[in-house]
Order: sequence, then C-alpha cells, then structure tokens
Amino acid sequence: MEILVELDNVSKSYEAKAAVRDLSLKIEAGSMFGLLGPNGAGKTSTIRMMIGITLPDAGKVSLFGKPFGGDALKRVGYLPEERGLYKKMKVIDQLVFLAELRGLGALEAKRRAKQWCERLQMADSMDKRTEELSKGMQQKIQFIATLLHDPELIIMDEPFSGLDPVNAVLLQDTLLELKNQGNAVLFSTHRMDQVEKLCDQICLIDKGAAVLAGGMREVKSRYERNRVIVQYEGDAGFLQHPAIAEFKNYAGHAEIKLKPHADAQDLLRTAAATATITKFELVEPSLEEIFIETVGGRSDA
Amino acid sequence: MLNGMLRNTLLIAKREYVERIRSRVFRITTLLVPIGMGGLAVLGSFSGKKMEGVQNMAIVSSNPELAAEVKAALLDGELPPKTVEIYAPATNEDLVRLNSAVAAHQIGGYLKLDPVAGEERPEVTWISGSSINFVSKAQMDAAVSSALIREQLLQRGVPEAQVEGLMKDPKLTTMQVKNGSVVASNSERSFLGAYALIIVLYASVLIYGINIARSVVEEKTSRIFEVLLSTASSDSLMLGKLLGVGAVGLTQMAIWGALLVFYAGSAMAAAQGIHGLGSLGITKAELGYFAVFFLLGFFLYSALAAALGSSVSGEQEVQQFSFILISPLVVSVVLLPFVLGNPNSTAAVVLSLLPPFTPIIMYMRICSQTPPLWQIALSIALLAGSVWAMVWLAARIYRVGVLMYGKRATLPEMIRWLRYS
Repeated sequence: MEILVELDNVSKSYEAKAAVRDLSLKIEAGSMFGLLGPNGAGKTSTIRMMIGITLPDAGKVSLFGKPFGGDALKRVGYLPEERGLYKKMKVIDQLVFLAELRGLGALEAKRRAKQWCERLQMADSMDKRTEELSKGMQQKIQFIATLLHDPELIIMDEPFSGLDPVNAVLLQDTLLELKNQGNAVLFSTHRMDQVEKLCDQICLIDKGAAVLAGGMREVKSRYERNRVIVQYEGDAGFLQHPAIAEFKNYAGHAEIKLKPHADAQDLLRTAAATATITKFELVEPSLEEIFIETVGGRSDA
Repeated sequence: MLNGMLRNTLLIAKREYVERIRSRVFRITTLLVPIGMGGLAVLGSFSGKKMEGVQNMAIVSSNPELAAEVKAALLDGELPPKTVEIYAPATNEDLVRLNSAVAAHQIGGYLKLDPVAGEERPEVTWISGSSINFVSKAQMDAAVSSALIREQLLQRGVPEAQVEGLMKDPKLTTMQVKNGSVVASNSERSFLGAYALIIVLYASVLIYGINIARSVVEEKTSRIFEVLLSTASSDSLMLGKLLGVGAVGLTQMAIWGALLVFYAGSAMAAAQGIHGLGSLGITKAELGYFAVFFLLGFFLYSALAAALGSSVSGEQEVQQFSFILISPLVVSVVLLPFVLGNPNSTAAVVLSLLPPFTPIIMYMRICSQTPPLWQIALSIALLAGSVWAMVWLAARIYRVGVLMYGKRATLPEMIRWLRYS
C-alpha cells in the first residue's frame, strides 16, 4: 500500500510547552486513520505539521512519499477544528472559490459543488448566504469544501463534533465510501465509539507522545479478553471464583472482570456446576476502556 | 509554483473585488461622496458671494472737495458701494439722522473726515453697525489714501492727466517655471491637484484601509484563514486582498473621475469659469504623478492596515488602530505649509523621501516647484520598496496569527512566532 503521510520522530514546542514529542506515524492509501487523545494532547499540532501550517522543530514530515511541499496540498483536503466560512458569501460562490483555490476550474467546481450539495441533502441552501444557515448546515458546507477537489488524503480535525446523529451518520458513511474508493482518511476525535466503528488504524497520543498505535485489531489483541458476561439462573456462588478480580451482579446478569491470565474456562465449568448458564461471553475491552486505562482516566479526557 | 501563486493571488483578488462591488457600502459611498462634494462646491460659491463691501454709505466732511474725491475713489475701487451720500458740511441733525440710519441698517456706515489744523491728513473715522469688517476697513483705507494723494498732487499743480497716470496700480503678472519652461501660474489652482490628492488619499485610506483591516480580522475570528492557509501562501492571500480592494478603490475613483470630467465640461462649470480639466490647473504630467502617488500611497497604507489587522484579535481594536493608520497623513497635512514655503529645504526633501509622507509631500513639491528628477525617482522607489516590505510583514503576521487565540500579540511574541512558523 502506498504511504501518503509519514511523520518521522517529529517534535514541536510552543514557548516552554512541548506540544508534540518524538511522534512517528504512517497513513496508507485506502485506510481510515483515527488520531485519538484527550484535549490538549497535541492532535491539532500534529495535524498542522502534516499540512505545513507549522513546521516541526525536529523530525521529518513526508507527504505522498516526498518531503513536504506546497504542490502536495492540492491533493489534500483539510478541515480544521475551528473552521470558518465567509459569512456574507453565497454558499455556492463560497464552495466554488475554495475549490478554485485548490486548482479546479470554475465550471468544474460549480458542477461538483452542486453534486455534493445534492448528495448531502442541502441543495435548497446553495443560493442562500452562509450566515442564514444553521451551525450544522455550515459544518456540512465545510465538509463539502474539503472534498470538492477529490483529495487523495482527507484530514479532518473533529469532523463530527456538533452534528446531530442523522448528519453525523451521513458524514460517516460518506467518509467510509471515500475510503473504499482508495482515499486515505485521517480524523481526530475523542469519541471512541466512532473510532471503533470506522478506523483501521489508530494512534493514541497523550501529552504530545504516542502511547498506543497500530491496526485496530492488533491494538485490541494486545489487551486480554478479560471481560466476561454471564447470564444465568440459580446460584450465584460461582462469582466467588478465584479468577475473578471484580464483578457487578444484576439479577441473572453478571459483568465480570478477570484477574490477569486467569482461566475463563475453569470459571465456566464452576458456574455450570452450580447454575444454569444461558449465556457466557468473553468480551474484548472497548476502545474507550483502553483509552481510559492508557491515559489514566483523567477527568479532562 | 509561481504560476500557482499568481493564480491564487488573482482568485483571491477577484473574490475580494466581486464581494465588495456587490456590497451596499460600495453603492452608498459611490453615491454619497459626489453628492457631498457637490454640496461643498455650492456652499463654497455661496460663501464667496457673501464677500461684499458696504452697500449704502455716507461721507461727512467740512471739506466738500475731499469728500467728492473719496466718493469717486470708492466708486472706482474694488467692491464699489451702490450709493454714497455726501454731507459737507454736516449739521448735528444730519449726524443724528445718520446714526439712526446705521442703527436701523438702512446704511452700512458713514465716513467722517475732519481736517486737523496744521496737518495735511484729516482725522478719519468709520462709523458702522458691525464691530469690525475687514473688507470695509480695507475699502475705506484705500479710498481715503488715494483721494488724499490725488488732492495733494492737484494742489501742488500736477496736471490732472498726469495724476491719473501716477495713481494707476502697477499690473503684477505671476509666472512659474514648470517642467523647465516658464508658464503663467495661478497659485490657487496649481495646488488644487495636491489638495485633491490629500482628500482622495485620506478618504480612501479611511474607507478602504479600515475595510482591509476589518476583513483580515474577520478571516481570523471566523478562522477561515486556516482553511485558506492550507492551500494558498499568506503572501498570495495578502497580495490578493490588496489588489482586490485596490481595484475596488480604483473603480470608485474612476466613477468619481468620470463625474468630475463630465462636470468640468458641463454648462454649470462653464458658468463658474471652468472649461475642461485644463482650466482646473492640472497638467497631464501632474495627473500621471497623481496616479502614481495615489496608488503607491494607497497600497502602503492598505498594507499597513492589513498588518495592523493581522496583529489584533477583534473588531473593536481596529477602531483604536485606525488613528495610528491615518496619523502620518495628518502629520503630512500639518507640515504642508512649511513644505510650501520651503519646497527645496533639506527638511522638505528628507520628508518627501520618507515613504509614509512621500505621497502628499512629494506630490506637493512637484506641484509647487519641480524637484530634481532623481529625488522623484528615489521617492517612488522607496515608496514601492516599503509597500513590498509591508506586504511581506503583513503576510508573516497573518501567517503566525493561526497560532494566536483571542489575545493581542506583543511585539516579542510576534518576533518569536516569525521564527516558529
């Protein structure tokens, strides 16, 4: 697979504060990459270095296999976290202007802008002035503006924040479609459920450094399947089994966390001996749990 | 890459131009300024007409010959009164009647000429309803002086015809060396161009300079500039903005200019003694310099406005900065009388070479007495260079502003940021 973005031991600090420390990551074509981390972890600083808004103090940034250069930006679609639009401009004019800046001809830009507005169910808003639209609608316009020039690399900083569930799903599905067409998508978020559903690759950063990175399956497999959900009828005495670290018992439904390297099969045998088991499931930890465990459950996460 | 930058610059310029031309502010100012100027012109001609001497007056004297001479001199002078009654000699009743006529504004005033024993000059008193009127005082002075001299000359036996010749005013013609040749000069009109430049520059810096600063602040606060900066360089953003807004300014000037040419050729102007642009005292060369200095001055101040806009965080701060923006223009205007008096002094030369003052001071020097060509060339070069430097600086400040959130940058911070980006 072609590698579109490569950060090689990149560091960046502002004033006395280190925003990014020794970060390395690779993003492949046709993949969805999740950049995770608590607020202030350095996600936005990392993204800004990828597209040359800031330069790293140390380390190398490559885009499309070459050191960073302005021409590469025509192949990138970037949606910043704090995004803006020209308030007084008409939606369609705005989209055409932004697409032209990225190298599209005026006619082609207009054609695609119309197409995208229809696709995202906002064709009626094309001739309105931007300030007349709701926040969510404006966010969809920004989303379209990012994609109009058909970028191979799509970088979105917190793309789903502030969207209602219907629109969030609409944008998620669009991103998945683009990924399946072979584009690379990187987005940052602290919503773990989205990442779990969408991403192939993740990188969790905390205090500027990568604390967890790799393929989603691989990351998860590093964590033991140490959760058990049991549905039972009868005696709950098996919950005193030595393999159990902690448990929550709701009537006939127990959620169990096992001790490290404990034998789940032995627990099943013990439970089956004293109670009627209707369900016994070994569950892998959710990304959210991994996140909290890794970052230490900080309250600002 | 250069092509890409040019393309981006033009795209941005086009957006700025189209959005502004469509705006209501553009339509309103384009209409209001000529209406305002027209109003001023009408007001000006009205107050010019108000400059008139005394309409009805009287002369009181024990010397009837002198009184007649003064009357003749008054009627012969500038701003002659309509009626001049003579009371020579006057009775006390006459004086009482005159005083009440002055009080009732039936006459503007009366002149008392009382011969003093042993003196050739009489004691002269002007009694009027208003405290001081410079026009009537000068009028009376001139009339009495010339009447006295006439009388003295005639008394000394000088023939009447010779007296007429002696009393004639010498005719003074003013000429001026302009662009190497001697031409008739009209001091008021040759500065008309300079004053026009001051007004036009001042107005456009106020309107469009602040406008540029605002639009920079808008891009920053809405943070659309992060999207822009991810595709276009800050140099092309700044340059495009300047060119676009500059083109709007030129469009407006062109509309106003067309109106002026139309006016200068119109019957209304002809009635005021103006026949075409030439009679406004503006030469073609001056018009060319006008364009050069207006454009460069406009760009310099616009770039300065863009830099100021880039370094502030909110709309309100733009208002505070607008004073900094126009202060060099104000200083230029304050220094203008000095430059006019000493167009070739060292101070005037140095001032005219300092870029913020160049547009007005150098143009004024060109209008009053053509300076050496090298000075003009140097001032234009310095001005153009400083425009470039200011655009560069504004682009850098704009660029690092991405990193700035909700506070105004201090100078050391800005310098640090210049290194970070």
